[in-house]
This record gives sequence, structure tokens and C-alpha cells, in this order.
Amino acid sequence: MRWLHGLLVFAALACVAWAAETIPPAPPNHFNDYAHVVSAGTAGQLNDELDQFERATSNQILVAIYPHMTSDSSVEDYTVRVAQAWGVGQKGKKNGAVLFIFSEDRKLFIQVGYGLERVLPDAVCKRIVEDEITPRFRAGDFTGGVEAGVHAMLAAARGEYQGTGSTAADLGRNFSGHPGLMIGLFILFIVISSLFRRRRGVISYGRGGMITYGLFGGGGGSSSNRSSGGGTFSGGGGSFGGGGAGGSW
Amino acid sequence: MSLGKILLVVVGVLAVLAVIVGLSVSGIYNRLVTLQQNTDGAWAQVQNVYQRRADLVPNLVNTVAGSANFEKSTLTEITAARASVGRVQLPASGAPTDPAKFAEFEQAQAQLGGALSRLLVVSERYPNLTATAGFRDLQAQLEGTENRIAVERGRFNEAVQAYNTALKRFPAVIFAGMFGHSPRPYFASTAGSDKPPTVQFDFGTKTVPAHP
Repeated sequence: MRWLHGLLVFAALACVAWAAETIPPAPPNHFNDYAHVVSAGTAGQLNDELDQFERATSNQILVAIYPHMTSDSSVEDYTVRVAQAWGVGQKGKKNGAVLFIFSEDRKLFIQVGYGLERVLPDAVCKRIVEDEITPRFRAGDFTGGVEAGVHAMLAAARGEYQGTGSTAADLGRNFSGHPGLMIGLFILFIVISSLFRRRRGVISYGRGGMITYGLFGGGGGSSSNRSSGGGTFSGGGGSFGGGGAGGSW
Repeated sequence: MSLGKILLVVVGVLAVLAVIVGLSVSGIYNRLVTLQQNTDGAWAQVQNVYQRRADLVPNLVNTVAGSANFEKSTLTEITAARASVGRVQLPASGAPTDPAKFAEFEQAQAQLGGALSRLLVVSERYPNLTATAGFRDLQAQLEGTENRIAVERGRFNEAVQAYNTALKRFPAVIFAGMFGHSPRPYFASTAGSDKPPTVQFDFGTKTVPAHP
């Protein structure tokens, strides 16, 4: 039994070491309220707006509300790792941003991907946090604060990129749902690339990228916790360098 | 078997061995080159964010100096630190290989970071200044830049550690030096060194460094 005891101690220690920081899994939707502080109606409406925003601009703007941070580190340090792990934003444009709120810790941070730093510079994020969000949070109005914050972020980020009319999650569903479509596209790609022999490099790059991207999106779209079946969000592979601003209330 | 045939077999085996060794050496060589490129890329990002901070300094000094009778010593300290950062000469391309130069760079940057965080603390005593939109924006930019510096330093360290580990492993360790590969210095990750020191004016208690 001695070895079993040792094993248990080891497992317990491993858990403690691991508990220092846990990166939560990528959320299924654009708007994710795990702390249940925002009214359901507003949550659904904001999720639709953010989903539409990705269709129109390709920018992935996410809201993630948790009761607590699962890290001993600072909020700015922890959230950059989370946003990076989720791959928010499209791969080439890196145009993702996440509004993280930890309701019980009374902390928040807007993480901005490399591609949105121009339209959401730190000073703008700080103003959104200090002028739009935290005054309402202090007054106990979570729904109003989140709504005002999201709308300010959308207003700032509009116009930076052009969208394709679909989201990374859509592509994932379409491609994984219809394998025939993927094969068809692949054949189409071969035909097109042989027609435009001179521009082959350019075309093959674009198509190849879309196919892999679709497969990736399929994994993310499978889990869901909200009513909008299948979820709206799937990470496009964006990356983050610590831009943005945060605060507490 | 005749002597000639044995010789032929030995030569054949040696040839096959030579091909295998050649392939594995070229594989390792390519891997080292990739890892080296990664550290160079990460270093470029590190320089980027430090440059961003240095570029904020003139604007910050102008904004603060405009405020009536702001402490001159804090401003001269920042200007001096900014100048000493500019004096550190590093190779134009690629991550630095000379630990002494690297330490010099890191020390100069730490000095500037410390001076800037002191400025922010001192400025709290000037409510007229901190209430202005210009100062608030600069403060947010400065905080954001410090975050970016922490992120890119961390990523640079990861890249260098991957490269240094690959260099020290067998069999790369035998021939890495011949191809001009050598371990690279990275940022010291001792407690608090990645963040400017927190300054407290409570003289009753000891200053505790910000612990990540």
C-alpha cells in the first residue's frame, strides 16, 4: 500500500502545481457569461451583435465573464496567455480582442490582438474601461456596463478590416458537415490553378489556408453551453502581444 | 568469401552509414537554423516594444514639464536613462550573442523602466496634471507598453531556451560550434526584474517587489 500512498501524494502535489494557473478552454460563443451576472436577453443580443460583427469585418471580438481568475499572476499577464491560447482573431490579420471580466475578483482587462492595436490603442481601451464600464459596475449595473463596453469596442474597431460574410465557426461547420463540399472545392482549386498557371502560387496559398482553417473551426464548434446550437465562436488563430488596458472596480 | 567481396561489403556498409549520418546532421543543422531564426524574430519584437517605450519618453516629459513646478530631478533622471538606453550598441541584426552587451542593454532598460515608474508615482502628487486627458492617455500607453515588454521578453526567453537546449543536446553539441552556433543570453527572470520596482511611500513597512 506504500506505493499507493506515494502515488496519491504525488498526484496531490501535481494538482497543486497545476492549480497555479489554468487556461480555460476556448469558449463556444462570442459572448460568454460563466458568472451569470448579465441578463439573459442582453447576453443573447450582444452575442448576435458580435457574431454579426465578425461576419461584417472579420474582427473577432469576444466577451468572457468568469467569477474568478484561475491564476496567481496579474490580470494583464494571465489574460494575454488565455487570449493567445484561444487564438482569437483571424490568422493573417491577428484581429482579435477579448473583454475579460472576473466578477468576484472585481477585475477586468481588454486584451487587444496585434492587428487591432491601431484602432484599439491602450489609451482608448483605458477610456472604455474607466469611462464606460467601471462606473456602471460600481453602481451594480453589470448588464449596462458590459453593454456600453462592448458597444464602445465595436465602434472603435469598425472599419479596420473587411469581412467575408461568414465566421470562422461557420466555415468549420460547413466544411466538416459536408465532406463532399471540401472535395469539390479541392477539385475546383486544382482546375482553377491549372487555368491560371502563372498565378498558381497566389491561388494555392489562399485555398489551402481556407481548407485547413475550416477543419480547425470544426473542432471548436462542437461544444456549446448556450441556446444558439453549435456555438458562434471558433478561434481563427490570431495572436496577442499584451496590448490593451484594464482596471478594477 | 574472397577478400575482395568482404572489402566490397565493408565499403557498402560504410557508405550507407555515411549517408545516414549526413542526413541526420543536416536535419539537426536545419533545426538549429530554425530555432536560431525564432530567437532573432523574438528579439526583433523585444526591441520593438522597448523602442515604443523610448518613443513615449519625449511626449511624457513634455506633458509633465508643462505642469507647474514639477520635480525637476525626476525628469532629468528619465532623460538621462533614455539617453543611456540609446548609447547601448547592439549588433544590427539578430539576437545578441555577447552576454556582457546583453547585460548592459538589460540594465539600461531597467533603469529607464524604474525612472518611468517613479515618475508615475511622483505625478500622483499633482492632481492638476493627472486629471488631464493627455496625461491619462500617456499613462495608459506606458502601462500597455510595460505589459508588451513583459510579454515579448517572456516569448524571447522561451525561444532562446529552446535554442540553447537544442545546442546542448547530443549529438548537436558535437558539431554545433563548427557551424557557428553558440548559446545565447536571455533575460534574467528573477523575481521582480521583469516589472519596474513598485515604489511605496509608506516608510513604516518594507518595500515588497511586485511578484508575478
